Amino acid sequence: MNQIWGSMEQYNTVVWHWPIAVYLFLAGLSAGAIISAIVVKWMKGNDVSPWDGIIKAGAILAPVTIGAGLCLLIFDLTRPLMFWKLLIHYNFGSVMTIGVLALFAYMPVSILFLFGVFKKELAVDGPFKFLAPIADLALNYGKALEAITLVLAVGVGAYTGFLLSAMNSYPLLNTPVLPALFLASGVSAGISANLVVGLLFFTHSTKDANVSYLHGLDVKVIFAELFFIFILFVGMMYQGGATAHAGAAALGTGGLSTLLWVGVIGLGLLLPIGLNFALPHGVKHSHAFVIFNALIVLVGVLALRYYMLYAGQTFVG
Amino acid sequence: MAKKYAMVHDNNLCIGCQACNVACRSENKIPESVYRLQVWVKQEEYPNGSLGYEYHRQSCVHCENTPCVSVCPTKASHVNEDGIVLVDNDLCVGCLYCVAACPYQARYVHPVTKAPDKCTFCHESRLSRGEEPACVTVCPTEALVFGDLNDPKSKINKVLSERVTYRQKERLGTQPKMYIVPNHKGGINS
Ligand code: SF4
Ligand code: SF4
Repeated sequence: MNQIWGSMEQYNTVVWHWPIAVYLFLAGLSAGAIISAIVVKWMKGNDVSPWDGIIKAGAILAPVTIGAGLCLLIFDLTRPLMFWKLLIHYNFGSVMTIGVLALFAYMPVSILFLFGVFKKELAVDGPFKFLAPIADLALNYGKALEAITLVLAVGVGAYTGFLLSAMNSYPLLNTPVLPALFLASGVSAGISANLVVGLLFFTHSTKDANVSYLHGLDVKVIFAELFFIFILFVGMMYQGGATAHAGAAALGTGGLSTLLWVGVIGLGLLLPIGLNFALPHGVKHSHAFVIFNALIVLVGVLALRYYMLYAGQTFVG
Repeated sequence: MAKKYAMVHDNNLCIGCQACNVACRSENKIPESVYRLQVWVKQEEYPNGSLGYEYHRQSCVHCENTPCVSVCPTKASHVNEDGIVLVDNDLCVGCLYCVAACPYQARYVHPVTKAPDKCTFCHESRLSRGEEPACVTVCPTEALVFGDLNDPKSKINKVLSERVTYRQKERLGTQPKMYIVPNHKGGINS
């Protein structure tokens, strides 16, 4: 403090820290996991029990990751004991309220999906026998519930982007492409997490056809992500002034830009695409490669969330 | 009729003495190391080589179109009937969405309540007693003018009718109720 007006510590533009980045990652992953599980479940031959390992993986991952993310979010509030006020006081103009309501609906349907898929393990042989009717409900109204779940999952995946893009205090975040980017990268993370869990823990029930379908889908989503990132920065350049400045700084300053180029774009997006085209068919379809590939995609998506959150709040033009 | 409180900060009269800053701290019992109000002094060099100073009042500008209120999920951040932007601590969960969304960096987390805090135009203390905000009262050069925009005869409306003023970051559409009389020399960096 060497200026006469006093300490300027409070004027740090970085308000939200890494727990929020991890939350954004987990929320996207959860949505992506259940979206890809439902897409696989709706394919011919996959719509009856015994369920494919991918579907099982998604059914577990979706509620677990969103649950973990929400815990993180609540503990990151400066007044965590007040969090329940979020559940009874609404501001429909706030993306956060919309998110709370979406999650309010999304949590139960994702748990229903879990009970439907794991009816035998949880409600027949397992400790939750009294919940058997719930599992039956999930199975009997499967299609309808899954359709609702799909819509809610898209909502959850996209809302994390709107949450940030709603703030015009941060030029890098205040862009209409952010929700699309977050939804796409969330789907990519969900697919990858499903592949890892499916191949590691449900090896016997995971069909190769589904694995290569999802893996192929992931490559397409990654192309979309690259394009969204491109649009984001080009859009900033075209806006000129402080926004263009912030964009240029975000692309080229310090450790954050290294994270973008190396972690997000290099490792998370270009390497999976490159490997997918360069490697021979046999290697590409081996379980070990699919798992490896999925892990680097996950690291890339986490890096993207971290980068967007910190660079967004750091480079304000 | 409801009031619409606003303030003028005259860059030509301000001398950067921080009397307002100090008065605010004592009136509102602001804890150490956080501030509702600072005046940033910046040296300027004009094109002809002469030197001068710019004074930036760093505080809530009481937007009419309030980013902080729009994003608040619980309506803890709100605008009162007199156009003053306030935080209701009983409703605040501490998500800091408002702190992040404020384009003026006007909010800080109060070290004790852990809720965001900011300039209130001394609403809870002096204003309710019919007095002007502490910063306005104490300013030795009368660089600060406070008043009701809805009252055509108010002192602030007189100043706004006679002087050139601008508002910070108007391009964001926030419509601040903090008007600045720019320095007569040099350019305006809004
Ligand atoms: S300056 Fe910031 S805190 Fe004050 S009303 Fe505007 S957005 Fe809200
Ligand atoms: S920190 Fe409090 S006042 Fe600010 S947006 Fe969150 S709930 Fe509202």
